[in-house]
Amino acid sequence: MAAPEVHHLFHHPIADHSFSADKQTLAVARDTSVELYGRTGSGFKLKDELKGHDKTVTSVDIALQSGRIVTCSQDRNALVWEPSPTGYKPTLVLLRINRAATFVRWSPSEMKFAVGSGARVIAICYFEEENDWWVSKHIKKPIRSTVTTVAWHPNSVLLAAGSTDAHARVFSSFIKGVDSRPEPGVWGERLPFNTVCGEYLNNSAGWVHAVSFSPSGDALAFASHDSSITVVYPNGAEQPPRAVLSINTQLLPFMSLIWNGESEIIAAGYDCEAFRFQGNEGGWQLTGSLESKGRPGMGDAREESAFNMFKQMDLKGKTKDDTQLKTVHQNTISTIRVYEGAGGTVRKFSTTGVDGRIVIWNA
Amino acid sequence: MSIIQQVSNATLNDNWRTINIDALDPESSSNFDTSTLHPAFAPVSDSEARNIGQQVRQLLRGGDAEGALRGALESAPYGGDVAVKEIHLQTVTEVLQSIKASEMTPMLQRIFQSEGGSEALDVLMKYLYKGMAASSTSKTPTRGSTLTPQSTGFSQMGGRPGAGNESSGAAMSVLLSWHEKVVEVAGLGSVGRCMTDWRKV
Repeated sequence: MAAPEVHHLFHHPIADHSFSADKQTLAVARDTSVELYGRTGSGFKLKDELKGHDKTVTSVDIALQSGRIVTCSQDRNALVWEPSPTGYKPTLVLLRINRAATFVRWSPSEMKFAVGSGARVIAICYFEEENDWWVSKHIKKPIRSTVTTVAWHPNSVLLAAGSTDAHARVFSSFIKGVDSRPEPGVWGERLPFNTVCGEYLNNSAGWVHAVSFSPSGDALAFASHDSSITVVYPNGAEQPPRAVLSINTQLLPFMSLIWNGESEIIAAGYDCEAFRFQGNEGGWQLTGSLESKGRPGMGDAREESAFNMFKQMDLKGKTKDDTQLKTVHQNTISTIRVYEGAGGTVRKFSTTGVDGRIVIWNA
Repeated sequence: MSIIQQVSNATLNDNWRTINIDALDPESSSNFDTSTLHPAFAPVSDSEARNIGQQVRQLLRGGDAEGALRGALESAPYGGDVAVKEIHLQTVTEVLQSIKASEMTPMLQRIFQSEGGSEALDVLMKYLYKGMAASSTSKTPTRGSTLTPQSTGFSQMGGRPGAGNESSGAAMSVLLSWHEKVVEVAGLGSVGRCMTDWRKV
């Protein structure tokens, strides 16, 4: 396996990151602004800074086709940044929320985006032509706590959301005039706005950090703070799901996850490395880390001379330099995203975290 | 002077940032019963908990410590009231105290690898924390008096901690060594699950 591509952007946490379709632009949420990095040869160079929020930016997403960037922040606002020849122009979105906006993602159709918030609502935002304005509709019921994450179904109507009330839910975000009527599927047949297609809670009930639909959209996975991931296979409207499989791990909790095909999930979080899960409706299991531990320069195979050992003990009180983690990321990974893939399988994925690094991995 | 006082009093009273707005909002998340978020547990009565305790002790006397431990962990009374939970905690603690330190790790590994074993160890972890909380609260009244503030700024322990309560100190050391062994086998994830789980023991 080829070594991952590591770029250390700055010494500051990265709340979220997103690549443009051509992978030449990388947007990272840093503090109260979003920084745009351009690819230059083997590295990334800062080329623009989107300043518009006055509190911590919590999430950023680049629409792959239109190139529009949406950002949201703890200042309760979301901004849509339109690319123009003179740079990016922000437009304020009417979210109508009274708590921080926590998470934002474009729908695959790029006609809408969903904003999760601490006000226990999800704002589904779409562009209203006659007013020339981004407006929002709220999904309220039955969310009982902060929405920490959202993920879109490939049909751009269904939306999965994870919340600190430990539930992962699937909603319909159908908006007349914006969406075409979805095909009936495993999640339900009639899908008016705010239909609750599923509500899932696992036994140990950690608050949910990440949700994701499988590439076909027929299965849902979520990771929660009880160090588990749960995979749900639904069984049509009003029916109990075919299978709800919960995998409790010995590890620290996962913050983010992606599907690789229908039978593999890659998740990463507080353990600072990515882990692979494999399985199907019959059962899932953790199969291992994606980190190759014996990387050169990281191993402790280096022979120490006795002189050096005593010198180190004298200087630092210890013989080994253990201030570095053995993982590529040196702190919690908060976002994992597909970088390159086709037809639902992932060839490369990118991770960012609290350590200010972006790493591009081979799946 | 008096005007200044009035003004500052007024601003203190009007300090809207300190108002708990959640208490005023009927739709607020702090105004609903969190127990409605998860399915209710079947109630467990006092006598049922005692019965389970008897069965577990019987297994223990028969020399099947592993069976006793598993039995106790799998019959945790989530739906019982405080008294029932206390009875079961007694049962679990007894089992834990009767297992030798050298048997802990192999036994935990066998349980972990068996069907539903990771779940059982999560329950064990919950009882370890509950046991530690219980034995530390019973000591708190005496703790204040054993601390004597020194002029140097350091506090010195007067007498050994828990000296008056020898058995609770011993119980704590058993729980601590179990905790270490459970973390070795079930990982830190199990500590996290103790905190998130709604099925309180």
